[in-house]
Amino acid sequence: MSKKINISSLSVGHDNKPILENINLVAEANRMIGVFGRNGQGKSTLLKTISGLLPSISGKFWYEDIDILSLSEKERSKLISIVSTTHAVIGGINVKDFIAYGRYPYTNWLGINKEKDYQEIHLAIELCHLSDLVNRNYEELSDGEKQKVNIARAITQNTPLIILDEPTVHLDLINKIEVFKLLKGLVNDCSKTIILSTHQIEYALQICDEIWLINDGKIEALTPTEIINNNKLKEIFNNDLISFNKASNTFKLNK
Amino acid sequence: MKLLKSNKLAYSILFLTISTILFFSLDLFLGSVHIPFKNILSIVLNNTPEKESWGIIILESRLPKAIAALLCGGALSVCGLQMQTLFRNPLAGPYILGISSGAGLGVAIFIMGLSFLGISNSGISLSTDSGLIISSTLGSFAVLGMLLSIINKLKDIMTVLILGIMIGSAITAIIGIIQYFSYDIQLKSFIIWTMGDLSSITNSQLILLTPIVIIGLFFSFVASKNLNAYLLGEEYAKSLGVNIKTSRIIIILITSILTGGITAYCGPIGFVGIVIPHMARMLSNSSDHRILIPLSILLGMNVLLIADIVSQLPGLEQSLPINSITSLIGIPFIIWIILKNKKITSLN
Repeated sequence: MSKKINISSLSVGHDNKPILENINLVAEANRMIGVFGRNGQGKSTLLKTISGLLPSISGKFWYEDIDILSLSEKERSKLISIVSTTHAVIGGINVKDFIAYGRYPYTNWLGINKEKDYQEIHLAIELCHLSDLVNRNYEELSDGEKQKVNIARAITQNTPLIILDEPTVHLDLINKIEVFKLLKGLVNDCSKTIILSTHQIEYALQICDEIWLINDGKIEALTPTEIINNNKLKEIFNNDLISFNKASNTFKLNK
Repeated sequence: MKLLKSNKLAYSILFLTISTILFFSLDLFLGSVHIPFKNILSIVLNNTPEKESWGIIILESRLPKAIAALLCGGALSVCGLQMQTLFRNPLAGPYILGISSGAGLGVAIFIMGLSFLGISNSGISLSTDSGLIISSTLGSFAVLGMLLSIINKLKDIMTVLILGIMIGSAITAIIGIIQYFSYDIQLKSFIIWTMGDLSSITNSQLILLTPIVIIGLFFSFVASKNLNAYLLGEEYAKSLGVNIKTSRIIIILITSILTGGITAYCGPIGFVGIVIPHMARMLSNSSDHRILIPLSILLGMNVLLIADIVSQLPGLEQSLPINSITSLIGIPFIIWIILKNKKITSLN
């Protein structure tokens, strides 16, 4: 039987004020899931809640038969890694040390890396093509490089589930595509399950296996084809300024 | 071991250890009474002074003072380092965030407060060792706890810094009121305390303080893996398996006990806590707390010993207040860091 992720009766929000209520979603694991929705619809809140960073108001999030939200930070850190939009770091950390922090859940009290840990670190560096940057200071990297380093750190954490909040924000076109391809590779070659929020709808429709569409406090799971064929984007981006072209999968500015 | 990545780091640690020993010896040697070095050695090692007064000077005055410099330097530097990481603020330190003021309030209430409440306390003085240390620790804990409860609501590092300064000012105001109503003798002993003084520490106080500092520094080192994770920000730290609430409380407890303990007996000693961690980062070119904690301890010991040596330079009848020396050494260094590295204010 294939693995599944299952969100059941989940309500998320801040200070007990729900933004999204009673979410019920089931998805196959080992897939790339994109979360779409306009600003302020609760994408980040949902992702933070299922990553355990924000307490849920009610409901459960299951990975196979594991109740993720009831786990301790330590147990959860071996199942879920995150990439968030903040790059806050104090002091100078070189890229290799930064990526090595991903081994934190597996190392002893002093955080000493062993042979297995170094293998994971090198693997992540290679996967993300970061060999040239390993001795650089993280602070001095470009946004695109920083994002790849963050993803490499998440890979090093070696969790079945990776949750990314707008991983392509601030990146130029080439970097965006590189990051998407890298993530797709993780799903196909390393059997990861990836959940990411993004505003890059055109690319995400091509690359994601499933889309969670958030609109007006409701969330719906659809395949990219369903979204295109049923004109779903029009419901969300209900605006006279743009229209979505089904044939070319692109947005067009209305003149 | 991979930790000591380069020979440079190993050499730095070796060099600092040797210089600590040298400055420690020099601190024992210097003073208004000239005592030959070989006599100092025999006094410290075998307690066989050539003159009885020499034995008293070394064992009752210079040795406790030099040990106090080691404890102060090590403890305050590590406190500063931990606070800079915890508050994600390169200018954090026990002094500037009002934590020393909190300790000061504890001490003020202890020394003068009882008379403020109309209770005569002629029996209580600076020599009431444990009461002093407890009140000082409680004071610093209160300020740190208050700051951390606020920091959750405010993300901007500058706001936290300003709040720390505000809390410090408010406490100074309260201390002022207590001072206004207190008796002359108590007022004087409190004023002298605020100047920071390594020399007033007694051997019995050292017996209490030394294990506190050693245990505090040991637990700081144990916490270094968590501190490292904090470097990536709280969200990432949490996703890496750090229990934020527990580890925060542990780090705050360590910091309050260390700052409180040191401040109780040596007074508020400024800028060591801010400056030394930066020196350690520059020297090691690392942000790894497993390296920074031992380096900060060594650097802090050296700087405090140097400050103590400077405070009693030949030609001076009395020694200068150590707080003024550390401020005069520290402030130019901070200004230099800010000018050299503009990033210091924009870390978020």
